[in-house]
Amino acid sequence: MKQIIAIAGTTIGEAIRRKVLLVILLVGLVFLIVAPSLGALSARSETTILRATMLGIIQLTSAVIAIVLTVYMIPNEIERRTIYTILSKPVQRWQFLLGKYLGAVGALALMMLFMTIVMIAVFTGMQNGDFGRAVTLAQATMMFFVQMSLLAAVAVCFSTFVTPLVNFFLSGGIYLAGSLFAPMFDSLSKQQNTSQFSKTVTWAMTTFLPNFSYYNVQNPLINPSSTIQNPMSHYLFATGYGLMYISLLLFIGHYMFDHREV
Amino acid sequence: MKSKSSRFLVWAFGLFVAQGIFSNAVVLPKWQKEFAPKGDIFAGSGLSPDQMLFALGGFREMVAGILWVRADSFFDDGNYDAMLPLIRLCTILDPKQLDIFSVGMWHIAYNFTDEGNRSDRRYVPYAIALGKEAQRNNPDTYEPFFETGWLWFNKVDDDYDQAVKNFEEAEKREDMLAARKNLLSVAYQRTGQIDKSLDHWYSQWDLQDKNWRDTGDMIPKQQRDTAENNLDTLIVRMAQRGYFAQKRGEGIQNYDLYPPFDVGFAAKAAVVGPGILKVDCNWNILPAGTRIRCILRDADYPTAKFADQDWDRETGVKLDPPKDMTWMQEAIYIKNRHGMRKIDMTRDQTMYPFTKDKYVLEFYWNPRSAAGFMQDKLGFLGEGMTDKNYLNLQARQGQRVIYTSFTLTRDQILRLGEWASKVPTVQTPNYVDPNETLKEKDDVILVPSLRNDKKG
Repeated sequence: MKQIIAIAGTTIGEAIRRKVLLVILLVGLVFLIVAPSLGALSARSETTILRATMLGIIQLTSAVIAIVLTVYMIPNEIERRTIYTILSKPVQRWQFLLGKYLGAVGALALMMLFMTIVMIAVFTGMQNGDFGRAVTLAQATMMFFVQMSLLAAVAVCFSTFVTPLVNFFLSGGIYLAGSLFAPMFDSLSKQQNTSQFSKTVTWAMTTFLPNFSYYNVQNPLINPSSTIQNPMSHYLFATGYGLMYISLLLFIGHYMFDHREV
Repeated sequence: MKSKSSRFLVWAFGLFVAQGIFSNAVVLPKWQKEFAPKGDIFAGSGLSPDQMLFALGGFREMVAGILWVRADSFFDDGNYDAMLPLIRLCTILDPKQLDIFSVGMWHIAYNFTDEGNRSDRRYVPYAIALGKEAQRNNPDTYEPFFETGWLWFNKVDDDYDQAVKNFEEAEKREDMLAARKNLLSVAYQRTGQIDKSLDHWYSQWDLQDKNWRDTGDMIPKQQRDTAENNLDTLIVRMAQRGYFAQKRGEGIQNYDLYPPFDVGFAAKAAVVGPGILKVDCNWNILPAGTRIRCILRDADYPTAKFADQDWDRETGVKLDPPKDMTWMQEAIYIKNRHGMRKIDMTRDQTMYPFTKDKYVLEFYWNPRSAAGFMQDKLGFLGEGMTDKNYLNLQARQGQRVIYTSFTLTRDQILRLGEWASKVPTVQTPNYVDPNETLKEKDDVILVPSLRNDKKG
């Protein structure tokens, strides 16, 4: 356990020092700060637009950070040969992989927390100090965090056997497909004139690909007039699902890494 | 090594199956019920593939927000046609954003007008369909029900039963604004359900009085006073009409509604130029305020009925109204017992395509939609009204309305063929040119009594 924590801590430190991640974070923060001006352009529903825009910015920025942070993780260690130093010590490969992943998730958590604090501050300022309403938006960012942890697991898994550039597009593609197929399956299953083949394909994709749509829970928070029955149960089940899929991905990642000549 | 790989495969397969079962059995049903995008994003949403990817990548609310800002700017520029698809797109992307539905319904129903500010009523069924879609997507909040009810109340302005139905649904929702509840009482009046209206005003009074006493807030007090004022007015008006006397089984002949007043309706329409209609109406009630509905429509317009159509017929929202159908609706304002309107349909050929051979020109008046002072004499249901020529008891069930219609051909309306040099004119047999009978100047509005005995 000590080894995992040590590797995770080092990974967080490395991530925070990486300029490219800081630039992405800075761009996200700038957009969060100017977001109120977009809402002000609308004659009605400026608060709704502000909420939607801010959560969208956090989600988009976090997704980019999650991918950029993790695609280089293992390949860089191999390229710089630092991995040999680590693996020559009493550190198992699975401990190294898990430590790297947890470090990436930790760095992601710090950056997302920072963006959430800025969002709450800006929203509270815009809503004349309505801190309570602003904090409810943090529910969405917590679910985004689980979503991004799942995305990071996808990228870490791929990083054990593909190059960073391929991994970037592969993980991005999986993220899009994993977000797309559940709504598509939901939409097609309600249509009677859709072929059984299309329904089966979308069902299979929804079942086997990591389902990122489960974490897009922002709609009722953006539109408070809509009522959701017991959202907490969905949050818990979706988190459970995420942990299950992350375990699967890390398990596959470990297997690939274990069989790799390093 | 081989057994290690096999163990891995078994574990991986087991985890893979477990996540699939957990996902489909536990997480997916709840997600589909509460969080899945409503509406059909994939078919006919108008999203380009990149927009669709972005929208479904979890950013649909953000995309809807940005598009809504864009739609707003189109509205400011008066570019209504460009605004319509954006509104539709926003409602599909974020079906919980009620403002978009409310503004969209209003926009579709009211803002597409011709040069004479007559709205294109071919859109109204789609505005109502949008309201119904908003209700399906947001069943727990009052606003879509109230807004749809308002469309029936104000725009359709005839079928108040539908307005009542929607307002009643809105009132069942806990978030209904107190001030907006008043409209249900008014809608009850317009359907002739006076007791329900009175009960509703009383319940409003009780509720707001209690709220005021509980909170000490002045807003409930103000709302209580509004309910009280409206209640008083309704009681006085209904007493004068003999409503309570009738309920007590007393004679009602001395009250305001009796004997029924002859409104003396007569009409004339002349096609004074290609696509230009000049309409004249005579009306035997002096005070200003009557608006006679005048409709020119295809003779075979789908679901058309007496000066009306089935506004509730559409189940889906379309962006374009039927381009080959004609429905012109105008309100002829009466002043000093006469109304005249020149209706130029030549500059709006998409609204008035005149593709059919036969057309119906209808005149209609309904006391339900009339001003209060006229209803005090004529009643909500037309009890105090008669017309020896055009009183109609079939057009609206349980109501006495004024109705007559004429047939015109396409050649007559567009002055084609034999009508190129003649002025096609249709008129009721009792129509008399007002210049021959009315001596009052147009700019003087006479205010005599509506009572038949002329005592004041």
